[in-house]
Amino acid sequence: MIKLLAAIFGLVMFVTGLFAQRGPRTDQCLTCHEAISDRNAALYRSDVHYQRGVTCAGCHGGNASQEEMEHAMDPRAGYIGVPKGDAVTAACAKCHSNSEEMAKYRSSIPVQQAEEIASSIHGKSALSGRERLVQCTTCHGAHGILSAKNPASPVHPLKVTALCSKCHSGASYMRNYNPSLPVDQMEKYRTSEHGMRNAKGDAKVAECVSCHGSHEIRAAKDVKSLVYPTNIAQTCAKCHSNKDYMKGYRIPTDQFDKYASSVHGKSLLVKGDLAAPACNSCHGNHGAMPPGVSSISKVCGTCHVMNADLFAASPHKKAFDAKKLPECETCHGSHEIIAATDRLLGVSEGAVCRTCHTTEVSPKGYEVARTMRALIDSLDLGERQTAELVAEAEQKGMEISEAKFRFRDVRQARLQAKTLVHSFDEAKFAETVKRGMSVTEEVQREAQNAIEEYYFRRWGLGISTLIITVLAIALYFAIRRIEKHQSTG
Amino acid sequence: MWKRIYQWIDERVHLEDVVDFLGKKYVPVHSHSVWYYFGGVSLFLFIIQVVTGILLLLYYKGTEDLAFESIHYIMSKVEFGWLIRSIHSWAANLFVLAAMIHMFSVYFTRAYRKPREITWLTGMILFLLALAFGFSGYLLPWNQLAFFATKVGTDIVRSVPVVGEPLLTFLRAGEEVTGATLSRFFGFHVAVLPGIFTVFLAIHLILVQRQGMSEPMELESAAPSTKRTMPFFPNFLLRDLLLWLIVLNVLAILAVFFPWELGEKADPFAPAFAGIKPEWYFMFMFQTLKYIPSHVLFIDGDTFGVLMFSVGGVLWMLVPFWDQRTKRGERSRFITYLGIFLVAYVILFTILGYLS
Repeated sequence: MIKLLAAIFGLVMFVTGLFAQRGPRTDQCLTCHEAISDRNAALYRSDVHYQRGVTCAGCHGGNASQEEMEHAMDPRAGYIGVPKGDAVTAACAKCHSNSEEMAKYRSSIPVQQAEEIASSIHGKSALSGRERLVQCTTCHGAHGILSAKNPASPVHPLKVTALCSKCHSGASYMRNYNPSLPVDQMEKYRTSEHGMRNAKGDAKVAECVSCHGSHEIRAAKDVKSLVYPTNIAQTCAKCHSNKDYMKGYRIPTDQFDKYASSVHGKSLLVKGDLAAPACNSCHGNHGAMPPGVSSISKVCGTCHVMNADLFAASPHKKAFDAKKLPECETCHGSHEIIAATDRLLGVSEGAVCRTCHTTEVSPKGYEVARTMRALIDSLDLGERQTAELVAEAEQKGMEISEAKFRFRDVRQARLQAKTLVHSFDEAKFAETVKRGMSVTEEVQREAQNAIEEYYFRRWGLGISTLIITVLAIALYFAIRRIEKHQSTG
Repeated sequence: MWKRIYQWIDERVHLEDVVDFLGKKYVPVHSHSVWYYFGGVSLFLFIIQVVTGILLLLYYKGTEDLAFESIHYIMSKVEFGWLIRSIHSWAANLFVLAAMIHMFSVYFTRAYRKPREITWLTGMILFLLALAFGFSGYLLPWNQLAFFATKVGTDIVRSVPVVGEPLLTFLRAGEEVTGATLSRFFGFHVAVLPGIFTVFLAIHLILVQRQGMSEPMELESAAPSTKRTMPFFPNFLLRDLLLWLIVLNVLAILAVFFPWELGEKADPFAPAFAGIKPEWYFMFMFQTLKYIPSHVLFIDGDTFGVLMFSVGGVLWMLVPFWDQRTKRGERSRFITYLGIFLVAYVILFTILGYLS
């Protein structure tokens, strides 16, 4: 019984203590300012800080418990009036950068926002050169600050795009800071899958903050930026690879894994080749949307121009359109695209042509695919044999730089042939392969000549050394004979 | 037939005197006779340089745009061009080596003593000219290594007191190593240096023929009956010829088994790469400069090094004039120890240069 009473007493004390911590204290500032119909005072009643017991003096300084104005607003009591410029962020940082202070309010909000703002693009941009472009109040407001989770807050996921676009959609405003930065992000976002769902009230889909970050926003060209080319796939994967988070959207969550193992992913993420595509290169960034079946070749064609043009003029274009097949993706895949090797061509195991072309269904296409594969295989074999001969000649120390230079044409022909595959024109393809083959023969001849020359030099050296040695021996005996003759004579 | 040709010439230029002179010319035979041959080997290698140099000159073009390409052409298209170029490069190195051995052998046997002071002096000048041949010829292929090595090498000239800067501008034909430097070096290599070299070589050879081979000091006082000699003609000359054939064989083997590489064409805008090294015979000086601190007393480190080598070189050249003990016919240990120290120094610092 005593234990029960003690527990009830403890609980009462805890709840009252909690109320004393969180509840609004007596705020004489607020009392007077409401009396004079001050709009900011009225707004402050709904402010999350007011709810947690922060008085006006928390930001403005002074003594909020004093009834007399001159005492309440006495600079000696720390009154600073309305903070201006960087003093605004400094006033917020007094508590928000102090973990002990935040603990008093039982807040789990991170305490590094002020630091993050200072190092962000907004923190670094200053028109006047004296104060930061963005202060805390720019986004959160001043007297009616609401929790970010509150749907009425301007930084709530459903509202934040409008907040950012207040500045970022203003061409004349943005010109002051970055004239080359587009101002149509909001327009594009509205057309995106994310934007349309956001507009319908889905707070889970990506908005500005999801990809760019909040306080720590950096310029897209900054390597630390979440949207820097090498980071962007990870940024998208935060949501798109999270099965639980994506539940309900009915789309796969393995895109990042597939992309990371693809030729594009390896180029960008492993080799750091910034020319390689990231998610946004194909899907768009602010207007992100999966490319439609008919536009896939256009999307791929932005980089693979020749392939796209050849395909568009090929007989496959019509056939693919009729069957509503996604053009490039049908043979190469989408996120998992691997380096296109000759293996994809032809009718053997692993080739993609045989998916549609068989001896029964499409014998002509089957034959063309088989012939093209045989041709590219012969060029490949010729190239390898030539490379071996060139390496052997080089290893023997022979000078064959011209042949080596010419050998580049073989590789060029092979690459051209690989591109010409997309025309599916056997005659053109064969012509290019034959050009490459004639160069391999020429280079092989030169390499072979160099190797023969190597042996000729060795033989030449052997013979001349022998002649010189015989001469030397003969001379030696001649000297001995002369000296013998001298000593006896 | 031969007799008739000989008579025909003899009637006109009186070969008799020459034959008579050669017939009376004797070479001392002793335990150090082997060193006599290195002068002849140096001469043989120089002749090879002249012949192969002239052959290269038929195709070489001494301009920034064509120098590298012309050597590439010589090595890949011209019949036996690779052999001629390789022999020219190898013979150049062997020539410096043979000349160096010849110089030290003359030094250690005190052959520079009276009456051969002028022979020593001309020999030293020929040796310095051989180094100049090497330095100027090194740039001519206009490849990366040659370009940067010449840049570093000529930079050292800057440290010469008073005339350093003008001398550098004269050598480079400007502030930097450019195509103008190449043309200038080409001119030095094929016209200026051969001209001067021929004059000094002629004096050197005439003096050797006039004065004969120097015999070691300890043999001078020996009784004439105990001295052994051999006729210069044909005995010594045929021995010389035998050695020349062996050297020719070595050259051919080196040229075929270790063909001189051409490397990459010089790119003045490329960053200097690590491991730029001069030719081996400059290595000991290059390495010494690396060890000298940036300042020695009040003198700049490089200037100190250049001064040190210049003074050392002059003293070395003038050894017949300050070596008093040898002049008096006494054996000087100092001279021997100095020579040993210098040989050890050159070998050690050359090895250090290649190891670093």
